[in-house]
Amino acid sequence: MTEVVRAPVLAVPAAASRAGTASPWRRAFAYALLIAVTFVLLYPLLWMVASSLRPDSEIFHSTSLIPQAPTLDAYRRGWNGLSVGFGQLFLNSLLISVLVVLGNVMSCAMAAYAFTRLRFRGRGFWFAMMLGTLMLPQHAVLIPQYIMFLKLGWVNTILPLTIPKFLAVDAFFVFLMVQFFRSIPRELDEAAVMDGCGPLRIFLKVILPLSTPVLATATVFSFIWTWDDFFAPLIYLNDIEKYTAQLGLRTFVDSAGQSDWGALFAMSTLTVLPIFILFLVFQRLLIEGIATTGMKR
Amino acid sequence: MPAAAAASARAVQRDDLAGYGFLLPWLLGFLLLTLGPVAASFYLSLTDYSGLSAPNWVGIENYRRIATDDPRFVTAMTVTFTFVLLSVPLKLLFALGVAVALNKGLAGLSFFRAVFYLPSLIGGSVAIAVLWRQVFAGDGLLNQALNALFGYEGPSWIANPSTSLYTLVLLAVWQFGSSMIIFLAGLRQIPQDIYEAASIDGAQPVRQFFKITLPLLTPVIFFNAVIQTIDAFKAFTSAFVISDGTGGPIDSTLFYTLYLYQEAFTNFRFGYASALAWILVLIIAVFTALSFLSARYWVHYDD
Amino acid sequence: MTTLSLTQVQKRFGAVEVIRGVDLSITSGEFVVFVGPSGCGKSTLLRMIAGLEPISGGELSIGGVRMNDTAASQRGIAMVFQSYALYPHMSVYKNMSFGLETARMPRAEIDRRVRKAAEILQITPLLERKPRQLSGGQRQRVAIGRAIVRDPKIFLFDEPLSNLDAELRVQTRVEIAKLHADIGATMIYVTHDQVEAMTLADRIVVLRAGIVEQHGTPLDIYNKPANRFVAGFIGSPKMNFLDVIGANRFNLPTRRTIDAGETLTLGVRPEHVVTGGAAEIDLGALAIIHVEQLGGQTIAYGRLADGQPLNVVLEGQRRINAGDSLPVGAMAASCHLFASDGLRLNS
Repeated sequence: MTEVVRAPVLAVPAAASRAGTASPWRRAFAYALLIAVTFVLLYPLLWMVASSLRPDSEIFHSTSLIPQAPTLDAYRRGWNGLSVGFGQLFLNSLLISVLVVLGNVMSCAMAAYAFTRLRFRGRGFWFAMMLGTLMLPQHAVLIPQYIMFLKLGWVNTILPLTIPKFLAVDAFFVFLMVQFFRSIPRELDEAAVMDGCGPLRIFLKVILPLSTPVLATATVFSFIWTWDDFFAPLIYLNDIEKYTAQLGLRTFVDSAGQSDWGALFAMSTLTVLPIFILFLVFQRLLIEGIATTGMKR
Repeated sequence: MPAAAAASARAVQRDDLAGYGFLLPWLLGFLLLTLGPVAASFYLSLTDYSGLSAPNWVGIENYRRIATDDPRFVTAMTVTFTFVLLSVPLKLLFALGVAVALNKGLAGLSFFRAVFYLPSLIGGSVAIAVLWRQVFAGDGLLNQALNALFGYEGPSWIANPSTSLYTLVLLAVWQFGSSMIIFLAGLRQIPQDIYEAASIDGAQPVRQFFKITLPLLTPVIFFNAVIQTIDAFKAFTSAFVISDGTGGPIDSTLFYTLYLYQEAFTNFRFGYASALAWILVLIIAVFTALSFLSARYWVHYDD
Repeated sequence: MTTLSLTQVQKRFGAVEVIRGVDLSITSGEFVVFVGPSGCGKSTLLRMIAGLEPISGGELSIGGVRMNDTAASQRGIAMVFQSYALYPHMSVYKNMSFGLETARMPRAEIDRRVRKAAEILQITPLLERKPRQLSGGQRQRVAIGRAIVRDPKIFLFDEPLSNLDAELRVQTRVEIAKLHADIGATMIYVTHDQVEAMTLADRIVVLRAGIVEQHGTPLDIYNKPANRFVAGFIGSPKMNFLDVIGANRFNLPTRRTIDAGETLTLGVRPEHVVTGGAAEIDLGALAIIHVEQLGGQTIAYGRLADGQPLNVVLEGQRRINAGDSLPVGAMAASCHLFASDGLRLNS
């Protein structure tokens, strides 16, 4: 599977440029549809947040989005609902996510730089290999990786979750950066060569500073995906004090079960909150990232 | 001309050192974490490895059992294919419909676009699976709403094996936002003057959609379909959380990846699970190859 | 004094030979222009001198020292790129100082050089700006400034005016000429525009397909093109070429005797075509097909009696119309005769 799905090269949609092409009735209909969709999409989310602020007795009797007697009780119960405080789990998640971001951005940028800017024997071959891994499902390597990390004594540590990222295993980010680096004019490298720069200095002083858009995109996506990841922590982390927030939340489902939905919603809301904040701050970057590269999420 | 030969040898000198220096992390990762494991995984699939004793060679026994003697494999395949074949077309249809509506030059485009994208961004998280569990529970939000609106006492959609899978399909469709963004960007690529030419030719909006928009959008549709399908084959978290890791009730949400997980990490049948993994890889590979073959007949590329 | 010499310099990309043994020596302070059609190898040759392309064969020496394997930054040269290649994330000041910082020059000296170059180019008020805040002409100056601060022995220019509009191009051309006069450094300049070549060069090097077709002063090349290609490439509008068969009936002085049946080409520049009867060489009547009135000049396009096309440039405003017939000819001194292999025959 060396052939990569061809991402259509797409411009980011500009603000409404076709105003006036649709008749008033059609526009009204479109608005009605969009508002209805918005409502259906957001209702469960808003209801979850509202329910997290309700006393438990109210949750199963109210479909409204406004709690009658808002209380943070559920947050207090949830925060200490496990044998380890959620604070610890959030810190664990944060540490893993930050390390993954660092690893991904550094190692993928280095690989992309080698692939796009340096001439070395075997470059074409390795590049083809990299493209080949783009579509390789993780399941093909999952079990041997697990056995390897088990033998290394890395299971139940954060090493299996972070170290691979320093080895550029997320080919998608390599590919993303390759695409971007190719858009940087080669004459800039040449000007830097004339200015006495070697490959390292060109990388640090010319390519990286000019790549902030793609580095930011990789950072934000990498963070969100890691924060949200459930499968890898599920396999590799055993002790509850080492859990990520996602894993803790899922354990909380077991222990709180059907009994304390309020606390469950409170903790659910908290685990989504960082992503929501990133979404608010980097909305444009995320949407451009999706539109121009065709990422799946 | 030894001097000239030496000069030309040096002239083709490249940055081998720098090249491999920068590539080193990726190269290590590729060899140790991809190529090696791929080979090992294939080898393991031909053994009865359980992690406790050394692997015994069993040949194609694992594959034979999967093919002829494993009812849960059949269940997992049925569940997964049902999920893929329902969720992907529904999601794409919905994404395309909303994108077309959004592309009418309405004010507030960027607001709607952002709002519709939010579920895709967070939809894979445990929190949303938890929410889904509640919404479709017997005393959940959906039934409360049905009761309030129509006085209808709904069942537990999650606990009922005949509906549980559809709640997961719905969750997938709920995350149509990223496909929509890609469609929207594709729609914006279609030059306005083509529509103007079509209007002059007397084509009505519906005809314009089927004769212009849709054909010109086929590369984007193809791209979305391939990406979303591969993704759907790999779906895991929501089914895991909603079914407490069992794939229940009575295996009605036993996604292939969930079955694979159980075999590998609950039952520690690493050999058997490796064979299951290879079958999944094969399915995805065959699907992708077929997509590319079919693309020739329906995807319209400009160049 | 020679500052730069190329000896049998070659460039191969795989099996393709792009530069096929170029010999050239350039003296200190000379302004040399490489000119030729696209794909002739002129940019490749410049980039080999710069150190951006490895040299496949032959020798490059600067100031008597072999430079084939010397790093670009150690060759004592500076280059102005076609797209200017300004670092978009650095200020104008930083763009100019970057190379000096890389060379670990003392801060004070860097500052002195940058400010001096900025003064010469009148860009001092722009020093803190980013390239995107500059106009095309200003960017061009910064690119030149970045070259000046390095105080190079040799300046290289790769089609530096091609991204400017027509008016700015003329203005910048004059400034580059003035800069050359002021600094006195050697300059090598690549262009496909023969007007730039004619106006700037002390010496023009005409390249085609990786070979030097001719080099010499602009007027040498204009007056005595070594072959038909050079004759057609230099001069605007293009030289007229007429097929003539048989003996040298024009009695031009030639390097060798000419066979009776030999096919020759007679070249006459449009501006050298003589109308009326005063011509030494009579070309017969020209049937006018189309006339362009430029105000200062009149350009007439037509065909001779045997059907061969001929264009004429006449000074001033002439009353000629399509359909007219014009007696045309040329003076022997302004005629060029080429053999069938393209080489110049008249001496």
